[in-house]
Amino acid sequence: MNRTRAAVILVALAAAAALPHVAGPFWMGLVTQMYIFGLLALSADLLLGHAGLFSLCHASFFAVAAYTTAILQVRYGVPTALAAPAGIAAGTALAAVFGASVRTRGVYFILITLALGYVVWGVAHRWSSFTGGDNGVTNVPFPRIGAVGIESHTQYYYLVLAVIVLCAFGYRVLVRSPFGLGLRGIKASESRMRSLGYRTGLHLYAAFVLSGALASLAGVLYVYYNRFVNPVAGSFPVSVEAVLMAIIGGTGTVVGPFLGAAVILGLRNWVSSFFELYAAVMGIVFVATVLWAPNGIMGLAARLRAARAARG
Amino acid sequence: MTEAAIQVGALAKEFGGLRAVDGVTLSVAAGERRALIGPNGAGKTTLFHCITGTLRPSSGTVRLFGREVTRLAESRRTALGMGRTFQISNVFTDLTALENLTLALLGTDRRKWIVHRPIGAFAHLRERALEGLERVGLADRADRAVRELSYGERRQLELALALNSNPRVLLLDEPCAGLAPLERQRISQMIATLPRAITLVMIEHDMDVALGLADRVTVLHRGRVILEGTPAEVQANPEVREVYFGHV
Amino acid sequence: MTTGAILQAINGLSLAALLFLLASGFTLSFGLMRVVNMAHGAYYLLGGYIGLTISQATGSFALAIVGGGAAIVVLGYLVDRLLIRRTGDNHLAQVLLTVGVAFVIGDVALKIWGGDFLKVPVPVALRGAMELPGGLVYPTYRFVLIVFGSVIAVALWLLYRKTQIGAVVRAGVDDREQVAATGINVDRLFVLVSALASFLAGTAGVVGGAFLTLYPGAEWEILVYALVVVIVGGLGSLEGAMIGALVVGLLDAYGRWLLPEFSYFVLFAPMALLLLVRPRGIAGRET
Repeated sequence: MNRTRAAVILVALAAAAALPHVAGPFWMGLVTQMYIFGLLALSADLLLGHAGLFSLCHASFFAVAAYTTAILQVRYGVPTALAAPAGIAAGTALAAVFGASVRTRGVYFILITLALGYVVWGVAHRWSSFTGGDNGVTNVPFPRIGAVGIESHTQYYYLVLAVIVLCAFGYRVLVRSPFGLGLRGIKASESRMRSLGYRTGLHLYAAFVLSGALASLAGVLYVYYNRFVNPVAGSFPVSVEAVLMAIIGGTGTVVGPFLGAAVILGLRNWVSSFFELYAAVMGIVFVATVLWAPNGIMGLAARLRAARAARG
Repeated sequence: MTEAAIQVGALAKEFGGLRAVDGVTLSVAAGERRALIGPNGAGKTTLFHCITGTLRPSSGTVRLFGREVTRLAESRRTALGMGRTFQISNVFTDLTALENLTLALLGTDRRKWIVHRPIGAFAHLRERALEGLERVGLADRADRAVRELSYGERRQLELALALNSNPRVLLLDEPCAGLAPLERQRISQMIATLPRAITLVMIEHDMDVALGLADRVTVLHRGRVILEGTPAEVQANPEVREVYFGHV
Repeated sequence: MTTGAILQAINGLSLAALLFLLASGFTLSFGLMRVVNMAHGAYYLLGGYIGLTISQATGSFALAIVGGGAAIVVLGYLVDRLLIRRTGDNHLAQVLLTVGVAFVIGDVALKIWGGDFLKVPVPVALRGAMELPGGLVYPTYRFVLIVFGSVIAVALWLLYRKTQIGAVVRAGVDDREQVAATGINVDRLFVLVSALASFLAGTAGVVGGAFLTLYPGAEWEILVYALVVVIVGGLGSLEGAMIGALVVGLLDAYGRWLLPEFSYFVLFAPMALLLLVRPRGIAGRET
């Protein structure tokens, strides 16, 4: 990592750490959401930016993890130390099942993950005796492990920030690892990878489960932030926005998904304050991104750097 | 008697109503250089696909060093020592030349599953990848994206990838296709200097290259073997000349 | 017990008829033009709403069907020319783009028609119930819907399999470049097929809006069903869409009847099974 990059990262971390002291609870809450949904977008991008698979069901893992943790804590009084890992495990287990979708490619994969995503939403919606239906699960407490517990939103902000930073570093190692390179090879030419000895199906499956685990972690972070979960958490718009966030920020990067989350959440917040058709505005953002900025913010930044370098 | 490197038994491949490969039996000895020639549409590439596992044959068998691999997945055959190049350059265009070779090296290596250490930490791997690039004259292109390489350079990379997947048998599908004479010479020179530890089967339209490099030649026409023999025998055979040159 | 089973079968068939209208257009659009149009559900909803308004203004169901369909033909054409064209063969881009279009349509529809559950009024002649042999009583409209759906299915099938233009479309589904090379105006063909798909979607909205309700969110629910139909039947196959529609319609009806809380699961389980055994769908081909 070169010096400029390290400096930028340090400044960003410092700013993130300082945020609760300079901005009010509203902004802190919004930025916490950006971290959480950025992580969800990151999980989707492991598949999109690196393996070339466009998954539309990541909200399912997010929601299943959130519901599992919520139900365990609220209904069965299970402490965080067990409820949180259980949430992650549940979401990951679902990813292990939905991972069968990697038997397909291209359009089929997109459509199948879209349909699978609906299963979870549908179950959350109709199995009201267990999931609470549209009312969801409420009164989720702040996380607490033994004597140490989160007591304020500010403390939770720092917890989320710490988790995100750890995830980002871990993710960076993952995508630079032999496994990560393998995924990019599959994206570039699956046929060549097979002829070189790679069991591409297995690689993609492993990536799918890993990405599901990451999405599940985001779900657990979400439910402790929101203190509440309902079927919307597992809905199609959440899945498709996660992918859009990755694209807007720049796929194939670590920072891109978080940038994208900041843009989407910030935009939605701003627009909905004065315009009621903000879903339409989101739709226009989708269209605009696809037509004019398919490489996202990081892509634009890269083009700027290249242009500057060319000028000398 | 040592077993054949490749043994194909009554292989057939049908597409709809068309029998692209129509009962081919051939045997390539270990260390041999075999050329597979025939006019366009003779079924050469389809035969290759069946041998490497890209396609499943409709009937017949394929053996690799005595082991039956007819229904085995392509990636498993590579693990057993099968390597190939593609007629149309099939390299990783979005990645650098070095990354291309790294992938080739890792294909038959357990370390491809490592998730917790960056590739940069494997110095030995990088060395071998650079060596692989040097062997085909692309060392100075190591950090360039393949997208930036010329067609000839991509053909060189194509060969390098196959060579670095640890092959015992190498199937070359028109390695000189679309190359200028000088590049052609370079590639055929590289092929000629490959160790006999690697068995070679080569599809090639350039008769000089094919007959120059081969120990034995198999001639395919309409999915069937019509002749097999030494380069001299094949060149002298009138039926071959009609079938092959009659189509030019 | 058997009366229930038969009633559910008819329920399933009426849903199948509706789903076929929607899925056939989607699958042919993909087969011929390699276009994935996620706004198809929104076309359904908007067509239904427009048909509703026409019905309220003129009192004519027939006009509503035609009007709803026609409005979507126009909208579909604009979306195609101005937006989808620009994505080429990039399916990811198409999906995102058309999802965006669907979001816009959905929100605008919400603003115009509100969030209540609305129903397109069934024409007087088709109201009430019919008595079937065995003493079963069943809503006339749904029955007519099955007939209507079957007629359309047969008509489409004949068009596809038995006519010159159908042969060209089939050839195009198989190999676009070859058809273009023979000098046929491929562009015009695309516009025609696309218009047909849009018309069917819009019409389905009106026809469906008379027994299922129209509401914000319906566009996604119906789209997902149509996608399952297409996945099960195979992308690009008209016959596949017919089989898929039957499978999905019947499974949904029986699922809701036998396991109401898990009905979604019942629907997707066979799709998941198909995935594992035959990823290309019943009659599909590699993309």
